[in-house]
Amino acid sequence: MDRSSIVERILRAVLLTLIVIFFLFPIVWILLMSFQTNEQILRIPPSLSFVPTLDNYKALISGHLLTSAGSLDIAFMRNLGNSVLLSTCAVVLALILGVPAAYAFARFKFWLSEDIAFTLLSFRFAPPLLVLLPLSLYFQELGLVDTYAGLIWVYQLIALPLILWIVRGYFEDISPDIENAYRIAGHSWLRTFFKIAVPLAGPGIAAAGLLSFIFCWNNFVFALVLASADKQPVTVGALAFVTASGIQYGQVAAAIVLSVTPTLLLALYAQRWLVEGLSLGAVKG
Amino acid sequence: MSASLSLRTVDKIYHPRGRSAVHAVKALSMDVERGEIVALLGSSGCGKTSTLRMVAGFEAVSAGEISLANRRIERLAPAARNVAMAFEGYSLYPPLTVRENIAFALKRGRLSASEVSRRVQEVAALVEIEPILDRYPNAISGGQQQRASLARALVRDAALYVLDEPMGQLEPQLRAVLRGRLKRLLKDRAMTSIFVTHDQTEANALADRIAVMEGGVLQQFAPQHVLKEKPANLYVATFIGEPPMNVFDASVVRDAGRTTFELDNGPSFGFGDNELAPEVRQAIGNRRKVVIGVRPHRVALGNGSAETARVISNQWLGDQSHIAMAVAGKLLVAVSHARVRAAIGESVPYGVRAQDLHIFDSDTTVALAHGARAA
Amino acid sequence: MAQIEIRNLHKTFKDDPVLKGLSLSVERGEIVTLFGPSGTGKTVLLRLLAGIYPPDAGTISLRGRDASGSPPDKRGIGMAFQNFALFPHMTARENIASALTARKTNAGEISRKVEAVAQLLKIGHVLGHSPRELSNGQKQRTALARALVADPDILLLDDPLRNVDAKLRYEMRLELPALLKRVGSTVLYVTQDFKEAMALGDRVAVLLDGQIAQCDTPARIYAEPVNVGVARLFGDPTLNLIGVAPQLVDGAPEIRLGGSRIRLPAGYSTAAGGRYLLGLRPETLRLVEAPAPGTVAVELVAVTPLNEKSVLLLTMQGGEELLASEAGDRDEPRRTGPAHVAIDRDALLLFERESGRRFIPAENGEVAHERIAITSHR
Repeated sequence: MDRSSIVERILRAVLLTLIVIFFLFPIVWILLMSFQTNEQILRIPPSLSFVPTLDNYKALISGHLLTSAGSLDIAFMRNLGNSVLLSTCAVVLALILGVPAAYAFARFKFWLSEDIAFTLLSFRFAPPLLVLLPLSLYFQELGLVDTYAGLIWVYQLIALPLILWIVRGYFEDISPDIENAYRIAGHSWLRTFFKIAVPLAGPGIAAAGLLSFIFCWNNFVFALVLASADKQPVTVGALAFVTASGIQYGQVAAAIVLSVTPTLLLALYAQRWLVEGLSLGAVKG
Repeated sequence: MSASLSLRTVDKIYHPRGRSAVHAVKALSMDVERGEIVALLGSSGCGKTSTLRMVAGFEAVSAGEISLANRRIERLAPAARNVAMAFEGYSLYPPLTVRENIAFALKRGRLSASEVSRRVQEVAALVEIEPILDRYPNAISGGQQQRASLARALVRDAALYVLDEPMGQLEPQLRAVLRGRLKRLLKDRAMTSIFVTHDQTEANALADRIAVMEGGVLQQFAPQHVLKEKPANLYVATFIGEPPMNVFDASVVRDAGRTTFELDNGPSFGFGDNELAPEVRQAIGNRRKVVIGVRPHRVALGNGSAETARVISNQWLGDQSHIAMAVAGKLLVAVSHARVRAAIGESVPYGVRAQDLHIFDSDTTVALAHGARAA
Repeated sequence: MAQIEIRNLHKTFKDDPVLKGLSLSVERGEIVTLFGPSGTGKTVLLRLLAGIYPPDAGTISLRGRDASGSPPDKRGIGMAFQNFALFPHMTARENIASALTARKTNAGEISRKVEAVAQLLKIGHVLGHSPRELSNGQKQRTALARALVADPDILLLDDPLRNVDAKLRYEMRLELPALLKRVGSTVLYVTQDFKEAMALGDRVAVLLDGQIAQCDTPARIYAEPVNVGVARLFGDPTLNLIGVAPQLVDGAPEIRLGGSRIRLPAGYSTAAGGRYLLGLRPETLRLVEAPAPGTVAVELVAVTPLNEKSVLLLTMQGGEELLASEAGDRDEPRRTGPAHVAIDRDALLLFERESGRRFIPAENGEVAHERIAITSHR
């Protein structure tokens, strides 16, 4: 309703602008830093005008870092590849396990189903540090340290609860009569699951998958402790820029830009679904 | 000049995202007298709920004016309008008991606690929710929630009471009882009210005048018997009444003292000038095509009629028979208060009298004549 | 052998015993309407028949064979739901075809059958639309088409006309019986509208208190209800109920009503001395000019004109209210004031006060024995 006055509208615009600047500022700054050399970054006073350079990106992509102390091998592209591999596999596995589980929780109210569901959800809230030490000991015994399989398995702690939470809500929202109608039309329950339930929960499954991908990608602690150099994702890989000859801010910035870009693009592309998927969990009665 | 609620050329246009604009209410003008009970009647999507919400203040008016007791209200917030509303979706406050919910509506007035309590009890007795006054909204049935919502609107002192399908969730028996009590309350206290319904019986039983709406346009605004006997157009004619009026396209043939209506793909009905009143003939004028209508209760069944038709269905409803016959490629429904022994497939004689005919213009669908009088 | 045989069915939902020993038989090709107030378990019964969930106790036999253990996809029935339950991500055509794609029918055959049933229900022109684009009436017919397309010999229709607007509802009420008879299925049709129940059913099964109170032809249910609960569900306005205590006066049974003495038919002699509720259907009460034997003095308090009749609110001496209904139109509206109403002795009903059972008057001087209406308690 257009009842707000001019003053209210101006105030609103100013406030929104301030908030946007506040949130976007670090990202924009880092973007700018990635095109500057170390000297330009560390200049005092800091200045917004500079001559852009692609040296940082070249160093990352080629794998060689030139510092005052000599040439360093940077495995950044390998880290990027690891991130993609780990996140994708983790999400795919979580979907294969989580979507049927979400369906079971939504449709079959078996004994303790609510308690089990809540327990699984609670893994999301537990800080990773809580389980890290015992996990690393178990992994050593099982020989899973520094393996892709081990990391993908651990990533389920991040992805599964999210998928269960969101997708269960979507399944619950499908009127049971729709599935009943399909069954009565002569189809088995398995066929009903694939032809009716999954397509109708599609947006939720996509949203959950996307979100899980982003959270897996961003994970730091598990990868730090349970993997070493050649299996590490970008989050851990960024540590390599803290070198003996000082912190290579330019490369760090470029690395950050390269790390963040895929998930940022994904999120922008799918933002409508993400909002739908997230708010569904909140609004369910 | 005692008009209490006045709407002047009110428009409502919705702009849903990604689709073209919806013109839900078109240039609606109507006046409700003080103490009058008015029903907005129509099928779903006709604009009646949009109109109600504009009067209550939950929708902005796209154009036009609304006045209540000589005060322009269309720009005021709902709380400032002195209008009490009962919603279709109950909308009780979950953390309050039913009693507290109803009493909440009286918080603004300066009434003593005992007076508030008395009024709550009184209105609760009216809608029969006394046993559940101390329960919470999530612990009562849909029908009870609806009655509580109604009670909350009625307990207030307001200039206008706005009710959105107030008894939609209730069973027929309970509805009939509550309707009687509601009408008595509204009349005793001269409460001006406007309510929305799609149920004609409810509109007939409660309202002094009924506003029939369709496609956002007010079709006719009149008391029940006028709507039934003199519908302004084809829509009102076929909307009012269960079963609805039988209508047929027909060609008009004038011939030396006789007017014959030839139904498209069907039989003809001729009437001499002594049967068809002059003003009716005049209203028809030179038209070659008209639409004629006859109410099911006025179709004469039995011997003595020239035409016969095949029976498609014969349903006995305890106090009346509904017989559907194939006429002019459509169904002609006749209602009789006696049991009619006609089997499906049998041919029965039927007829219509000139005084039972309603005649409408083919193009504009406006009524031309009803029975022996011009429209 | 009945097509559908239900014996002693029990079902409880969340501590609420919805069905308490329900029994019903439906013969092949019959249309039985299942009628009762909301929340009484009609939908639950249909779902039990469809196999959506199992009963707590009792048996269901379809086509002479026990159906327990048979999942919904194997029962060979067609069902239409109250809220349509159309698949939102499929077109109307695909929705209807879904009832055929489970059996190995070839594409050409499926297409032919879908077109045929769509023509029958007049939705041929919207087959390519998604459910979102259909009006309520079209959705209802699509749901019905889906239930019919596989030519099921058993059809379960759960209040399919409920969400449809009044005019279309009336039209369907006229067309459905012929349609269903043409298809020839055994039909169980749930409705909350007594007129629909009477119009559509060969027999009407009234569900009250978790059981079938009476299952009879529409005419008999209306004129010979087995108890007051059933009687109250039929008729609009609902029938008047007044407490009376018949007495024998000069050998004939009589009641006092509003200060007048009304003589009952001789068959009610054995009712004398008991406490009863007198049931008077509004359409059987006629206003007459002058007092006469069999009339009661009343005050006409209010007249409510409805479209096909007028409802008259009358009060008798002593304050009790009576509703009478008058057909059609009068040239001048009735004026309130003193009047007289004639009681139709042959149309009145008498119900035992405590049990609610109808008292069946004896015929030809014989002692009345309980006439067993066609209920399921065989």
